[in-house]
Amino acid sequence: MLVGPGFEPSEAILPFLREDCRVLVIGAGGLGCELLKDLALLAFGNIEVIDMDTIDVSNLNRQFLFRMKDVGKPKAVVAAERIQERIEGVKVVPHFGRIEDKSPEFYKGFHIIVLGLDSVEARSWINETVCGFLEYDDDGQLDLSTIKPLVDGGTEGFKGHARVILPGITPCFACTMWLFPPQVKFPLCTLAETPRTPVHCIEYAHLIQWPKENEIVEFDVDNVEHLQWCHKNAVKRAEQFGIGGVTFSLVQGVVKNIIPAIASTNAIVAAACATEVLKTVTMCCAGMDNYMMYMGAEGIYTHTVKYEKDAECPVCSSGISLTISESKTLAELIDVVSAHASVKGNISAPSISCGSMNLYMHGPLEEATRPNLQRKVKDLIMTNKATLAINDKKLPRTLRLNLTIA
Amino acid sequence: MTGLAKEDAKSKRYDRQIRIWGRDGQRRLETARVCLLGADADGAEAMKNLVLGGVASYTIVDGDEVKPWDLADNFLLDKESLGKSKAECVSRLLQEFSEEVSGKFINERPDQLIASEPGFFKDFTLVLVHGRIGHEVLVSLEKTCRSHGVKLIFGRSYGLFGMVRISAEEHDVIESKPENALLDLRVNRPWKELAEYAGKFDMESLDDMTYKHVPFVVLLLKAAELWKQGHQGALPADRQQQREFKQFVRGLQRSKGEGFVDEGDNFKEAVDNAHYLWGGSSIPSELLEYFGSSSCTPTVDSSDFWIVMAAVKAFVDNGDGALPLPGSIPDMTATTDLYLDLKRLYERKADSDVARVEANVKEILVSLALDKNRISTEYIRLFCKNTSHLKVIKYPTIEEERQSITGSKSTYLKSLLLSEDTAENAFVYILMHACDKFEEINTQQPGIFDSELEADKERLKGIVNSIMSEAGLPTIPLSEEYIHEVCRMGSGGIHSVEAVVGGILAQEAIKLITNQFVPLKGTLVYNAIRGTTLNLGM
Amino acid sequence: MIKLFSVKEKQERERRENAEQAKAGVKKASASELRLQKDISELNLPKQIKIAFPDGPNKLNRFIIIVSPDEGYYKGGRFSFSFNMPDTYPHDPPKVKCESPRPVYHPNIDLEGNVCLNILREDWKPVLSISSVVYGLQFLFLDPNPDDPLNKDAAKVLASDSRQFQINVRRSMGGCYIGNTYFPPCK
Repeated sequence: MLVGPGFEPSEAILPFLREDCRVLVIGAGGLGCELLKDLALLAFGNIEVIDMDTIDVSNLNRQFLFRMKDVGKPKAVVAAERIQERIEGVKVVPHFGRIEDKSPEFYKGFHIIVLGLDSVEARSWINETVCGFLEYDDDGQLDLSTIKPLVDGGTEGFKGHARVILPGITPCFACTMWLFPPQVKFPLCTLAETPRTPVHCIEYAHLIQWPKENEIVEFDVDNVEHLQWCHKNAVKRAEQFGIGGVTFSLVQGVVKNIIPAIASTNAIVAAACATEVLKTVTMCCAGMDNYMMYMGAEGIYTHTVKYEKDAECPVCSSGISLTISESKTLAELIDVVSAHASVKGNISAPSISCGSMNLYMHGPLEEATRPNLQRKVKDLIMTNKATLAINDKKLPRTLRLNLTIA
Repeated sequence: MTGLAKEDAKSKRYDRQIRIWGRDGQRRLETARVCLLGADADGAEAMKNLVLGGVASYTIVDGDEVKPWDLADNFLLDKESLGKSKAECVSRLLQEFSEEVSGKFINERPDQLIASEPGFFKDFTLVLVHGRIGHEVLVSLEKTCRSHGVKLIFGRSYGLFGMVRISAEEHDVIESKPENALLDLRVNRPWKELAEYAGKFDMESLDDMTYKHVPFVVLLLKAAELWKQGHQGALPADRQQQREFKQFVRGLQRSKGEGFVDEGDNFKEAVDNAHYLWGGSSIPSELLEYFGSSSCTPTVDSSDFWIVMAAVKAFVDNGDGALPLPGSIPDMTATTDLYLDLKRLYERKADSDVARVEANVKEILVSLALDKNRISTEYIRLFCKNTSHLKVIKYPTIEEERQSITGSKSTYLKSLLLSEDTAENAFVYILMHACDKFEEINTQQPGIFDSELEADKERLKGIVNSIMSEAGLPTIPLSEEYIHEVCRMGSGGIHSVEAVVGGILAQEAIKLITNQFVPLKGTLVYNAIRGTTLNLGM
Repeated sequence: MIKLFSVKEKQERERRENAEQAKAGVKKASASELRLQKDISELNLPKQIKIAFPDGPNKLNRFIIIVSPDEGYYKGGRFSFSFNMPDTYPHDPPKVKCESPRPVYHPNIDLEGNVCLNILREDWKPVLSISSVVYGLQFLFLDPNPDDPLNKDAAKVLASDSRQFQINVRRSMGGCYIGNTYFPPCK
């Protein structure tokens, strides 16, 4: 089958895209600008975009909605304006701010969310937010209407990826965290005693010398004076050791962890994502399953991989569901959990948390949380419905407990 | 702005891409003149990406005027464009992306321009061709371009599918910038100074701190010497011996007494990099092929690239069989001084190799009665640094590409159609050829008019079937559905597919212009239904 | 597959849910918080190591580890380290600094309290935990390493004259000058 299940070309699709379907684009940078244009030209009529950044000169080589005169203005606002000026019948609502400052309800209001981000933090945050929407019945069956699809793109130079996440069905970011390699870090003793490369000298000035000499001021990677200070001292250190090659550009690259970016890769990856948005929303084609990597440096090569969901993912897995009565204490709840069929034998001394609240913890917090054991669960969590986290040395991962108090 | 301030502004603006292709690559982009034939969305998007990247100039050729449906998928058109020249409107809106770029347009159909003024194309760096140009005309364009060294890229979308292909007589790349390429450390065949340097280390007399900071290159050289003493002068030959060698390296470590070994990071690195002893310094087979090609016998018409290639070949033939040393070493556990000593040792050897290659270059130039200073030392240095991953790509002509599917081409396509991973996209490739044939016969793409959808499907199916049966190709289970999909879309552009094609066109243009990285070799098929690509290298 | 089409019904449902959610007001734990809860609940500290949570038991992203070695050069000392857990933990390692005494006389800790421990930098992996780092710190006091120094002077003494090093450590833990640097006593 080339089309999605149950798809019929229909006259209802266009008005749905134009009038009803609400899409959120997170990030109005390299991918975001392309995404907004792509979605608008695919007839999506209600688009919103959120970004906390303002426009910088170095954006202009790819973020085509911005001009020299826009430098310093909020990206989301300018991008929304340009799209609306050019394309008729599309409404783009900008949000200039942090994604964390919007409530879960804000994100719930969209049919689909597209990510044009460059940080692991932001991806994790939005992932946790939409996975939090998932609801399971007592048999652990997912309520399909609680799924908020995510389409994610990312690029680095000539490389990129596009992926579709149907939380609860396909792997979420937390299931495949290993796809993001940790940043290279050098041993501090190398920086301090045996520097060999210009990068070692820059990291010394940045990580060791700055906190020593500017104790009160936090290093700000966006502050030109701080960067210049770092450059000056890195050059001095490099000269002292006979190492060459410290340039201001390299200082920026290392300290700000700059990811190289070009227009063409952004265009390709964003367009691939936009196609997936259209497919997911209309079912006009079977969707991508579920991760495509793109490599454009040596010829053109793409590879689509079907990653597997982590059945024990602490963020998106169904976990177990329980309903207890109002009178139950935490100790009694722990007994019920330990006896639950699906975990029996795998739990001996469980710890239990609700959100940031640690209800009962083994380890160093045991004494502090012990009094909670005799309190009623309802009085502790102050709600009738919540997702709890169960930890136990015998469990490889955190177990989710969907608790209802009746 | 002064020249310097202008340079500074540019380096800020293009910072994120200069980190990829360097100032050199950027300078080449900034002198590139690009021509676009056909101003529909794929082409307009390609040009948008190139103008953003900083090309010097563009020329848009299109004879159509803007129709209402053009606005639906082309971001480089606006309401005011309706009824005006498409070339002019796209050119006007492209101008917004850069204050520096010089934009021109020609309101004429590309095929007419090619026929009436073939010489028009000879001064461009690159011509992007995007659909709707007859076969015969394309052949003549290609002839002009090849004879003037102008490179061509074809790209087109067909509803949910797209195709990109390059045409050039020959494209030579020095900086192919491969990822994860093995370095050439020469530990398996050290030159005299390197062997002497390693020999100077008296491991037993070193204090603990220094002992743990002896570079792994030295450790490997020392271990190899010791190993050879016990193995009739030979390095590890097979997997078994290679494993034994690693164990041997571990065993060389100083013990803290009672057999307790405090493993140093440098020894760990030596084990991890032991493969440099049995690989990494040989001549790649691709390069041997270039050495053996007729271009490697220089004539007065040879390019700089091939003259230096011949000089490198002479270097290998007259030396110890090794390539010029690239001269870079990776960071490794070592004290500052030991590392810098080693680094300088490699750099000195690289410099002396460059000097020898340069002498060969001059000798060749003199023997051909050419200016012996024609090729700069910098060029030769860059060449020597990259000898193990040079690329020479020759592209088939349009006629070769389009000729009927017979012989090896048929066998190749058959194998693609029979393999699960490639079957659908190989079929899409044939389908796109069939669409072009359809267009030649019917002067339009299939499925343009809803009323003729069913009839067009049958006609297209007929063309597909005749191509496949003539070549003896097997069909695929989803062939009907694919034919249906391509007709259903008609020529109605789907912007996100056009943007992918435009993005790829621009990316390949950048590789051709900067002379870096490796451009596409065969024909690329993009399938937006599956979100996959296939590279057909015929 | 999912049906995204029944918009009106869906919006209605969402309105209901939102109202419920607003009443509930339970803040979701982030992935890093979930992992921290797991790490802390499974942390089994030997008697030489104590932990303190200055912001209470529900704020796990900042805590203090106090190491009181009962053998080796640093026997009888008391060293406290601040742990700051990034939002991306365990993708990124904890940020650890020696807070007291500062400066401390140790070959692998500089005068600002920076610690040279491989698993805090180049060898960090998400499978490691707070427990691994705590044991790493404990090991640093049992077996200071003179070959990868962050305090070169201390490392030189340790490498060349371990008796002198022992004397210096003893003196430093009571508060004294070594060279031009004053080392305050352990508290």
